[in-house]
Amino acid sequence: MIDRRAFLSAAGAGLGAAFLAADPVQLNASFNRAAEAALALRRGSPPPPLEVLTPEQAADVEAIAAQIIPTDDLPGAREARVVNFVDHGLATWAQGQRRATIDGLAQFNAALSGRYQGVQRFTQLSPAQQLEFLQANEQSPFFQQMIFVTLAGTFSYPDWGGNYGKAGWRILGFQDSYAWQPPFGWYDARANGGPN
Amino acid sequence: MQVERPDPQARIPRLTPSRRRTGAARFTPSTRVDFVVVGSGAAGGIMAKELATRGFSVVVLEQGPRMEVPNFQHDEFRHWFQNEYLNKADTQPQNFKAGPSAAPSQQMAVQYHRLVGGGSLCFTANYRRLRPLDFNERSRIGPISGTAFADWPITYEELEPYYTKAEWELGVSGEPGPFDPPRSRPYPMPPLPVKSSGVLFERGARAIGLHPQPAQMAINSQPYHGRPACQQCGYCWGFPCEHRAKGSSFTVLPMAEATGRCEIRTGCLAARIDLDTRGRATGVVYFDAQKREQLQRARAVVLCCNGAETPHLLLNSHSSRFPAGLANSSGMVGRHLMFNSNALASAQFEHELDDWKGAMVTRIALDFYDHDPSRGFYGGGALDGRFFGFPLFYAFGGLPPGSPRWGAEYKRALRDGFRRQMDVLCEGTSLPLETNRIELDPELKDAWGLPAMRVTYKDHPDDMALMRFLLGKSTQLLEAAGARRAWALPVAEQSNGLHLLGTCRMGNDPATSVVDRFHRTHDVRNLFLCDGSSMVTSGRGQPTATIQALAYRAGEAIARFARRGEV
Repeated sequence: MIDRRAFLSAAGAGLGAAFLAADPVQLNASFNRAAEAALALRRGSPPPPLEVLTPEQAADVEAIAAQIIPTDDLPGAREARVVNFVDHGLATWAQGQRRATIDGLAQFNAALSGRYQGVQRFTQLSPAQQLEFLQANEQSPFFQQMIFVTLAGTFSYPDWGGNYGKAGWRILGFQDSYAWQPPFGWYDARANGGPN
Repeated sequence: MQVERPDPQARIPRLTPSRRRTGAARFTPSTRVDFVVVGSGAAGGIMAKELATRGFSVVVLEQGPRMEVPNFQHDEFRHWFQNEYLNKADTQPQNFKAGPSAAPSQQMAVQYHRLVGGGSLCFTANYRRLRPLDFNERSRIGPISGTAFADWPITYEELEPYYTKAEWELGVSGEPGPFDPPRSRPYPMPPLPVKSSGVLFERGARAIGLHPQPAQMAINSQPYHGRPACQQCGYCWGFPCEHRAKGSSFTVLPMAEATGRCEIRTGCLAARIDLDTRGRATGVVYFDAQKREQLQRARAVVLCCNGAETPHLLLNSHSSRFPAGLANSSGMVGRHLMFNSNALASAQFEHELDDWKGAMVTRIALDFYDHDPSRGFYGGGALDGRFFGFPLFYAFGGLPPGSPRWGAEYKRALRDGFRRQMDVLCEGTSLPLETNRIELDPELKDAWGLPAMRVTYKDHPDDMALMRFLLGKSTQLLEAAGARRAWALPVAEQSNGLHLLGTCRMGNDPATSVVDRFHRTHDVRNLFLCDGSSMVTSGRGQPTATIQALAYRAGEAIARFARRGEV
């Protein structure tokens, strides 16, 4: 996990000085350089090793998340590395939820055999069965928690361990930038001197 | 309407330390400074600057940290989900009652930013003056039974010079609109560039007979006072500006420090105000960053905590002389809490607005500001065009009602909606009720062992009726603008407030108010309160300009009293 503050200061040594100079062009350049440096560091990098979850637990979490935000022509929760967001969270800021999450997953898996004989883990279901099971258990507290962490992991600032390659933001069509210029959208193009 | 200028020849008060270096001062708590200001936010930052630049020594106690520009990130999860800069449930828990007879439940009912600059650093930056009618509406339209609806002890004309001072010192962009109150100087800067939400808002508003205008924003539309113009990053609401284009207490506090007479002491949580045998405040007892109890001695104390923490601190400062809480002989401390009523309508359009870019609000409509008896309820409000276009907010709650919450259809709705959506925020009056209040919780304690606050809040039926009315207008507006779909969430009673107003109201009568027209408590001669708690009525939804104008006015008055030996 790369701390944004660390690479900000590495990429833009004297960033504070740039601000004091109050020169937005220079400032943006230093932010953009920092952002590019961060992206380059991350692009194509393998997922970090698991800190809390076992490989089997991680596979289940990833499969559930992939049903919540599936992959189509755009990346989904899997590519956003939601499982790493969850795992890193349980190791750090969400430590207090570690036991409840792991127990919740175990109970969730235990309920599978009642419906699908011999099935012990969510990943053993076919994608159609996975969807069917989640629809039938949509209101279960564990699945509601999985919705929360999947959305948080997909759309949060990448420093938290998810939204890998800004996958979640690509779904929305959102781009993080420290500076934009008008025209901003279709309807203000004419007001801001554009062609419409 | 003349603003008193700092007098360079003013006699420096006797007790002011002699240090005159440029850069922040450092005082030991045992040094008796002229003023302790508690809180460095919208009011406290202005207060510290006004007092220090007039020659007084000032210690500002701020419970949060001091963050600098390199820490200012677009990290929504940190800011709004981890509450990085907000008061937190684990260290400062609250109990909430949804009405006087409701059972309390532990939840965060009032939230505020706890860092140097406070909410003024993290606000959307709507910077709207009250109008003359806000100050004398009770006289104009009569009493409202069951409420504490009252006139202010000051008029708009008395506050006008200080609105002007705030606008010119902090930097405000705007242009005259059809509903503007009289102003003695124009806006310092022209409006910010319009966004698609502004163009559509204007189109829809005109189509239904309203008179939209550019929003007044405390955001630079051009370089101002050594700070750059807005770079349109889109992260205003809840975020400090990394470009320093937002005008705030954070941008004026360095002026206080540059006098060499002001120290901003962070990580310090005020516990109580101590009195001497004559009933005068001797200073503020606080816990420092290591949780050691300290007493900062001072000639006078100014509380600028906010409309929740100022009464909380007074109530925690009870003594044999003031058993019901300091400066609370009226029993009014903590009462009349007002959040401002608010509601949200939303719409999607055929083309892409990309309204997540840029300063949040560019067009507003004030047609419904004034009270209109024909509507059948008390109140008035404003509409503004904006988009809560932060990725997490949108993913969790931005889609139309009935949208799927997960799965392929959910993802499709996000892809389709995010770039095509805007909101209209309705913001308006809250009536002052004695039963909406901040109290000490009888059992719950904070991480410093102090009684936590208990918040009781239930919207007045007229506040709810006003929101239903404004939501109806907003939906019409969005449809008239050509929305392919417009919707509004049902109006619900508020259980969470960010605008914290009215809890130590100003007034001429010590039996019904806490501070006088110059923010001095009726009960303690050298104790002053200035922040949202001073407001007698709620205004129509954007209180920061008023809180800061009050702070400029109070700072000037308190300095005058101090110079005359009247504190």
